[in-house]
Amino acid sequence: MSQSGAKVSPQVSEEFQNLKRSNDKNRVLRYIIFKLSDDYSQIEVEHADADSDWENFREKLLNATSKSKTGAVGKGPRYAVYDFGFKFDGRDINKIILIAWSPDDAGVHPKMIYAASKEALKRSLEGFAYEIQANDSDDLEHSSILNAVLAKMNA
Amino acid sequence: MAQQPLPTSAQPTDIYGGDEVSALVLDPGYCNTRAGFAGEDVPKSILPSFYGHVTSDPPRDLFGDECIIPRSDFEVRNYMNKDSVVEDWDVAAKMWEFMLVKRLQPERQTPPSKNKLNDDVKEQDGEGDVAMEEVEAMEKALEEYPLLMTEAPWNSPKAREKAIELSMESWGTPAFWLSRTPVLSSFAAGKATALVIDVGGANTSVTAIHDGMVLKRSIQRSPAGGLWLSSQIRNMWETSEPKVDLIPTFMVENKTPVDALAPAQARLREFPYKIHDSYRAFEEERLLTEFKESVVEVWRGPGRYGAAGNEEYIKSQPGRVFEMPDGYNQMWREQRFKVAEGMWDENAGYPVPESERLTKAQTIPELIRSALNAIDVDLRGNLLANVVVTGSTSLINGFNDRLNNELTAMYPGLKIKIHAAGLSSERRFGAWIGGSILASLGTFHQMWISKKEYEENGVGIVEKRCK
Repeated sequence: MSQSGAKVSPQVSEEFQNLKRSNDKNRVLRYIIFKLSDDYSQIEVEHADADSDWENFREKLLNATSKSKTGAVGKGPRYAVYDFGFKFDGRDINKIILIAWSPDDAGVHPKMIYAASKEALKRSLEGFAYEIQANDSDDLEHSSILNAVLAKMNA
Repeated sequence: MAQQPLPTSAQPTDIYGGDEVSALVLDPGYCNTRAGFAGEDVPKSILPSFYGHVTSDPPRDLFGDECIIPRSDFEVRNYMNKDSVVEDWDVAAKMWEFMLVKRLQPERQTPPSKNKLNDDVKEQDGEGDVAMEEVEAMEKALEEYPLLMTEAPWNSPKAREKAIELSMESWGTPAFWLSRTPVLSSFAAGKATALVIDVGGANTSVTAIHDGMVLKRSIQRSPAGGLWLSSQIRNMWETSEPKVDLIPTFMVENKTPVDALAPAQARLREFPYKIHDSYRAFEEERLLTEFKESVVEVWRGPGRYGAAGNEEYIKSQPGRVFEMPDGYNQMWREQRFKVAEGMWDENAGYPVPESERLTKAQTIPELIRSALNAIDVDLRGNLLANVVVTGSTSLINGFNDRLNNELTAMYPGLKIKIHAAGLSSERRFGAWIGGSILASLGTFHQMWISKKEYEENGVGIVEKRCK
């Protein structure tokens, strides 16, 4: 359970349903990025997109910001779900992955709250395949994510 | 979920998150105890967990660094034990109250004639039974302040119950919470899953955290921390040629500068009473800490310090000079590495009495191996990619490089990534800072165990809620 007490906006699971309904014939959504509201009280949808360009998605996470308690803007953690397509045993496969993005150079304040609130989000996302914790820009490279997914599939 | 309404006087002045509460955060350790207000960056009050005990009649306890001075009939004691668990609850209660009430809220002091330890948060009307008022004052000491406490992950259920009982019954806190230190350190590093290596004063522990929960089977700990390092330095000084006398600062009246390695020329203070060994040991520890901070370094690797050629290499490098309080000074070169090597290699370091010797299983690399062996093999990769290093003793130069080298050698092919806060305050007070952020959140309202819940369920509530 969430250890911060943060709530999850109902919009989160609504959008997640839209992502789950998506497939390559009918691409409603490719990914959703979630953020904690500015007062850190609830998890909300920040951006939902059908764009399949990984780099665009990655840039969005890398450029995410959070406010510290003094109001200073710095790098910010995010959560995201991504309908990740790849080849496995010669077949095309899609797996929805949950990414907990917390850049090491973000402030201790947002990092603490995002980490402590993640379980609340997880409980409202029924049906993602794998979870990946990413803490620097390398972790968000397409190849790193692919390797992490393959490692989990082979586990 | 039960929510504890706060009295209006506890409403925040500094609004963050809409409804911040002025909670207190208490983080007790063997060497130091840290206390402060939630939402602040560092604990306002940091005191040694050692306290003074006057043995003459009437015996009494003295708290605070400034009270630990040479005096007659005086011993230095510690309310915690070396497992970082409370040993003496009566003193723990007094010590914590001293910090939470007296140190954090000085403006609310009652006249010393009433009660030296207890503040009175209520307006006195000057009537009624004085004894009753005192009892009441004691009960209300923290009635406006929710309290978040930290604990070692191996803390006993009994000690956890004792903590909530003390908080609710003796101080009247409206709400209480217990958090495990490695969970807080992991979260503060932005990770819900991590392998937390806490290199503290009395202990070094390794704990795997998965999705914010302690994996109990993984918990490993050993004395390979700051105090053990002190015993190595003592031994090094003891066997050094010439022998280095460990004379703490308080004993030196004056000194004359001397050349390196020359005998000290100092006049020592004479005391008309006997200085208790426990006081001397406490003061020696201060000096040892200074030596650790300025001289000791961990051999970074690759490989162990004892491997061929390493010592010769170090001997060709510049050393560091350390001057003792009595003026004796010398250059420390290879010794300053050797002294920390025993944490990594049970065959290295300085020979110490059997009781203080680390076994192979107690060295840091083996603690990590045991922790990872105790849990599901599928989790290993993820944990090694998320190693969080915290604790003051981890600040010794070279520590993280060495850890990285050891782990790379132990787990070839796996990605190893070590996260250690760059700010030394975040490493020293990691758990406190994590608790401070959590307890300052408006949403944390619904997490607290409220007074009402406590009254309905009793002390057992803490085991149910603080998992």
